[in-house]
Amino acid sequence: MNHPARSCRRRAAFATTLLLTAAVPAQDLLTKAAPQTAPILLHNGVLHTVSGGVVLGGSLWLENGRIRAVLAAGEQPSPPLGDDAIVIDLQGKHVYPGLISAHTSLGLVEIGAVRQTVDTSELGELTPEAIAAVAVNPDSAAIPVARANGVLVAATFPSGGLLPGRASVIQLDGWTNADMTVRSEAGPVVAWPQQRHGDGLRRGRRGPASGDDDAGDAVAKQRQRIDLAFTAARAWLDARSADAAVPIDIRHAALVPALRGEVPVFVLADELEQIESAVAWAARRQLRVVIVGGRDAAACATLLRERDVPVIVDGVHELPRREDSAYDEPFTLPARLADAGLRFCIATGQDFSFDRNLPYHAATAAAFGLDRERALAAITLDAARILGVGDRLGSLEAGKDATLLVTDGDPLELPTRVELAFVGGRQVTLRSKQSELAKKYRERYRQQRGR
Amino acid sequence: MRPRTAPGLFASVTLVAATIAQGPPANGPARADAGWFALTGARVVTAPGQVLERATLVVRDGRIAALGDAAPPAGATLVDCSGLTIYPGLVEPFYASDVPALDATTDDQHWSPMLQPQRDARDGGLVAAADRAALRGLGFTTVACAPAGGILKGTATVVALDEPTPVSKPRIVLPRAYAVASLQRSRDGYPGSEMGAIALLRQTLLDGQWYERCQLAVAADPTLAASAPQPSAALQALVDTRQLPLWLDSEDELQALRLLRVAAEMGLRPVVIGSGMEFRRLDALAARQAPIVVPLLFPDAPDVATAAKAEAVSLRQLQTWEQAPTNSKRLLDAGVVVAWTTARQRDRKDFPAAVRKAIACGVSHDQALACLTTVPAELLGIADRAGTINVGRPADLVVVDGELFAAKATIREVWVGGVRHGLHAAREPRFDGAFRWVDGWPATTAAPTLTIDGDRLTAKCGDDSLQVADVARDLDALTFRLAGKPLGDVHGIWLRLRVRGDGLAGSATTTAGATSDVTFARGEAPAAKPTEDDEDFVPPALTPLPTPLGGYGAVEPSTAMEFAIVGATLWTSDGRGVLRNGAVVVRDGRIVFAGAKSEMPALGPSTAVIDGEGKHVTPGLIDCHSHTGISRGVNEGGQAVTAEVRVQDVLNPDDVNWYRQLAGGVTTVNQLHGSANTIGGQSCTTKVRYYVHDPEAMHFAGAPAGIKFALGENPRGANDRGPTTRYPATRMGVEALLRDRFVAAERYRREVASYDALPPKQRALTLPPRRDLELEALAEVLAGSRRIHCHSYRQDEIFMLCGLVQEYGIKVGTFQHCLEGYKVADAIRRAALGASSFSDWWAYKFEVYDAIPDNGAIMHEAGVVVSFNSDSDELARRLNTEAGKAVKYGGLAPWEALDFVTRNPALQLGIFERTGSLTAGKDADVVLWSGDPLSYAARCEATWVDGVPQFSLARDAELRAGIRQERTRLLQQALAAGGKGRKAKPMDPKDAYWAAEDDTGAYCCRTAEDAR
Repeated sequence: MNHPARSCRRRAAFATTLLLTAAVPAQDLLTKAAPQTAPILLHNGVLHTVSGGVVLGGSLWLENGRIRAVLAAGEQPSPPLGDDAIVIDLQGKHVYPGLISAHTSLGLVEIGAVRQTVDTSELGELTPEAIAAVAVNPDSAAIPVARANGVLVAATFPSGGLLPGRASVIQLDGWTNADMTVRSEAGPVVAWPQQRHGDGLRRGRRGPASGDDDAGDAVAKQRQRIDLAFTAARAWLDARSADAAVPIDIRHAALVPALRGEVPVFVLADELEQIESAVAWAARRQLRVVIVGGRDAAACATLLRERDVPVIVDGVHELPRREDSAYDEPFTLPARLADAGLRFCIATGQDFSFDRNLPYHAATAAAFGLDRERALAAITLDAARILGVGDRLGSLEAGKDATLLVTDGDPLELPTRVELAFVGGRQVTLRSKQSELAKKYRERYRQQRGR
Repeated sequence: MRPRTAPGLFASVTLVAATIAQGPPANGPARADAGWFALTGARVVTAPGQVLERATLVVRDGRIAALGDAAPPAGATLVDCSGLTIYPGLVEPFYASDVPALDATTDDQHWSPMLQPQRDARDGGLVAAADRAALRGLGFTTVACAPAGGILKGTATVVALDEPTPVSKPRIVLPRAYAVASLQRSRDGYPGSEMGAIALLRQTLLDGQWYERCQLAVAADPTLAASAPQPSAALQALVDTRQLPLWLDSEDELQALRLLRVAAEMGLRPVVIGSGMEFRRLDALAARQAPIVVPLLFPDAPDVATAAKAEAVSLRQLQTWEQAPTNSKRLLDAGVVVAWTTARQRDRKDFPAAVRKAIACGVSHDQALACLTTVPAELLGIADRAGTINVGRPADLVVVDGELFAAKATIREVWVGGVRHGLHAAREPRFDGAFRWVDGWPATTAAPTLTIDGDRLTAKCGDDSLQVADVARDLDALTFRLAGKPLGDVHGIWLRLRVRGDGLAGSATTTAGATSDVTFARGEAPAAKPTEDDEDFVPPALTPLPTPLGGYGAVEPSTAMEFAIVGATLWTSDGRGVLRNGAVVVRDGRIVFAGAKSEMPALGPSTAVIDGEGKHVTPGLIDCHSHTGISRGVNEGGQAVTAEVRVQDVLNPDDVNWYRQLAGGVTTVNQLHGSANTIGGQSCTTKVRYYVHDPEAMHFAGAPAGIKFALGENPRGANDRGPTTRYPATRMGVEALLRDRFVAAERYRREVASYDALPPKQRALTLPPRRDLELEALAEVLAGSRRIHCHSYRQDEIFMLCGLVQEYGIKVGTFQHCLEGYKVADAIRRAALGASSFSDWWAYKFEVYDAIPDNGAIMHEAGVVVSFNSDSDELARRLNTEAGKAVKYGGLAPWEALDFVTRNPALQLGIFERTGSLTAGKDADVVLWSGDPLSYAARCEATWVDGVPQFSLARDAELRAGIRQERTRLLQQALAAGGKGRKAKPMDPKDAYWAAEDDTGAYCCRTAEDAR
């Protein structure tokens, strides 16, 4: 294997990082990356900027955790790099912005079936005060596993209930959850209730089934309850703006950024009527909305385009919704959204243990009609923009965070390996609990053969 | 004219003398009614297709005494039936009657309350009073009552639809007509699944045979009595009823096939009690040649009130709704013996309309009559006494005004054993007719004309209708009240009319107190009544239906193609690696050549040539862990050990996921029982032959048998809610239970072997060992002829089973999941044929926290035969890229990685001789890919199984267009049906039709949470 050679002026920093840990049991015992203290020049790579095409033989100049410049082939840093700078010859390897898992429970769940390790669902149907970033476990063993396949950023979502809290954007390295947090309050999450009919989607608990008594009523009441939460928050905000003596209510305060349009509301909705009614509600309440799921979004493209509502496709590797649906219905969803002129990104679904397969969801979408460049954008820049972090993440551009990966090929292809990864300029390890276990037990068989 | 059962209508005229003698003393003088009638002038349909015009039928002492054109005998009460038709009384072959459950605490009961074959319908209430009237109202005179509830329910009794009196019981026509079985599941115990119910039924029927053999042995050698099996009323009943036909109470067409399989194994004479859905598997059912008792229960139009609801209705549901009325016609045309039952009717009143629908679909009147008379009588074994009109038989008659099956027919009387039950009797005197006013009227307004038709009375002044109210009649008078605008300021006029001559005469009184004598004369016959509701039913075309029913089925059975794919890259999976510029030639369902294009044999003119330039061909993919297409429960979780249950018993060929998996190149799967118990059920190796008519044709014939074991959290119940109450609760208990069952199986094997070794003469003098299907399967495991597919995660449990099987000198077939297999790969290599794993699943429960994606590669490097599987309807469609992960994690060569889903699972399932590689002579299970199959960029373009095209992108496009077209047509019909004032009822998910759509119940291999 042809690893990028570090023709560095200073080599030691990386070696120590990678040697610190041996055994990795029930949590991530790997050392976190040290802050970037010196400029780094990633030299002679194929830069997939996403925002500005592909730069062959280009270089990336990283400084203070950010991309200082994207240099074309032959272009030298100006002013020239100091002696402390680290220069890594990529030998024609590929550089991509860090992949972004736009809808996950990463950091909030360690083991799905062990209740004690699940921090996704606060008690109550309406708990906007809950913030995902607060409960992210920086030592979750799942974080290095996702990172190893190039997922360097994630939007982690609370779940359960109607308004389970606020999603947070995290980067997948840091000693504390504060270190990891990119955007603590990316936006409140709303599970828009919907009557379930027949053999439809079996995932999610987004409303009573049509067989239930008064299911339609129940759905209407649940929608009203969500609406009421926002109405009450608006009333509180107006009152408190007029009279500072109005006491703080953290539930209402939690919704203020959304009411002010500073963040979107992430609305979980798949069915046509569900999407239409959620968008209509958001319009009436003057909220920005992001549809999470969006299985029927192509059918109401005009509405979504008019209101500039983007969609987080919640997994391409899904079963068709209905018995009669085309076998590839979920595979072609991104292509259909693209054809309809919608903004969207691709996620893997909320189960964190599949985050590492993010590029393959995009790859399947590409095999089923989505432009390959668009597929890459759907897990990088488009995701960043929809999550409200497009100014910092998602592309290789001067001024953005130095959150990127170096690979030996297209990340949408299975054999491609991630060889280096940087989060905010910090070179992070690509080892994980899993790689250490593999190493440990390969050693067992090596010992046996040695005997 | 509401009262239909007014006092005095039931002329209880005769009782069979013998019944009186047996009954209690009469409370008063003994009755001696004459019971001698002559029904004259009737058209008599004696049997389907046999009619006597203007005949006289003499009834005496409950029986038909004479029939023909002779004059009625003097002394008989004359019943004028001119203009009426007399049919034989109808026979209801299946009526579920309540029979008290037996006291389960007594020793001679079966341990399972589901098995009470000793119950007898006579121990219960037979036909409930309300149902007696309802059935007679439809023309039934004879009913077979079967005990309701359970798997082996007991025996049915045929009774006459008499009204019992304090001194008489219903006439028993046949005390024991048939035994009844069903596949009822228990809510909270064993069997909780359909495969469990089948296993319990099968085992119990075998127990009955064994019980009888023991009795024969004891008879031959009385000294054996001491060690004979304990007396069992249940098993004795099976011995006693062995000669009776076994009626199979089925919930849907697939269940009918499954029940028929068991009956055939046991050599029993089966009759299917159907669901009305038989048309969905018509050919397979017709081939079984069993009579079917068909309910005429047609689904309501699906609820399509909103776009979302319409979208949720599948084409299969729409087709089922449209085609259900054709069921009987299709069965009859296919040569099936069909009888009809009202048993599953939600309301028996709907039955006549349903009969008319069936007739509209092409069933002839004679066939319909046979379905209701001679055929059920034949099936019940009472053809000598019911079903036709013959002299000497009980007088079970239906007297109809009109054709029995016509919409306007009115059943006037039903005679049961010579007892007359008036229903809509045209009572004497008859008022029917149209009458014009002649004379007398108490008001100044015009007098009305009257039209009387049975219960219906209409009145008009000119063209204006009057309100008619409070219609009543006593013996000789008809009274009613008229009101309405044409009567001017007179708010009401009361009329009392009697028959006089050919007209009516009586008096009319106004509210003002004015009374006049009035007379009416018979006038013109009334105009024909407007058509009734159900007569706008348009029968669907009787075109052939697709198999499976639904969007992706095929009308024409597909046959093996002769074809060659030329110029493609071949992934051979047979040691030759990947061949560029190759060719595959398929003929008669086999691969006849797979190799370099340059060496390809000359192709015949009938060979279709497919240009494979730039494309890739792989063997059909094999999913070594699937739960696709398993009806009503993937787990039989009712017991810790359920080796007796068989997934192959409940294969569901209708699951659309089969089609979806074909679109991902899957051609063979290992259908596994779930992991709820330590020793689960027997697995089924299945070829994805989506278009076969007979579900059993999907079984991979000749594949080695398999069985599911499960270790760790699932069989411990660790992830279940609530306390663990079933042993085992720990991994220690799992080991102990396995060991215990191995010991039992070993002992069983020895017992059976030593009995089998006896010379025949001595065998007759020896008590035979009881055939135990659970231990038999485990004995096969110990004999090495049944492969263990063991759900496992942690290294300790894997290691445990490796050691245990080595003690018995056998090997594990596969460790399934085996996510810590990488820790003990050496032990697995020695003790198992292989390991079948997920590529990269982890962290969904504690025991998979150490799962790593290098697992497959590390085991492979250590010499284990490794496959990757799906355990998921969704993932099964992407096995090719799952295999690709073995390249990514562990660095296998691409051809080695593809083996994970071709050669290796074939080896693990023992079918590599037949499939799993592109090798001449093997089954033509072949997949054409648009590119490198290990890349997510590749799409499956076509899939063949045994050379039969099962999927192609071109055909898929056609199917989509067809689905759109059919859905449009049927949704429009559903809307029309819902828009005619008949409110479309939402389909009840508990309804038997839709219960056929599978609910795969409890957890399989991940956790309880996932399955929900």
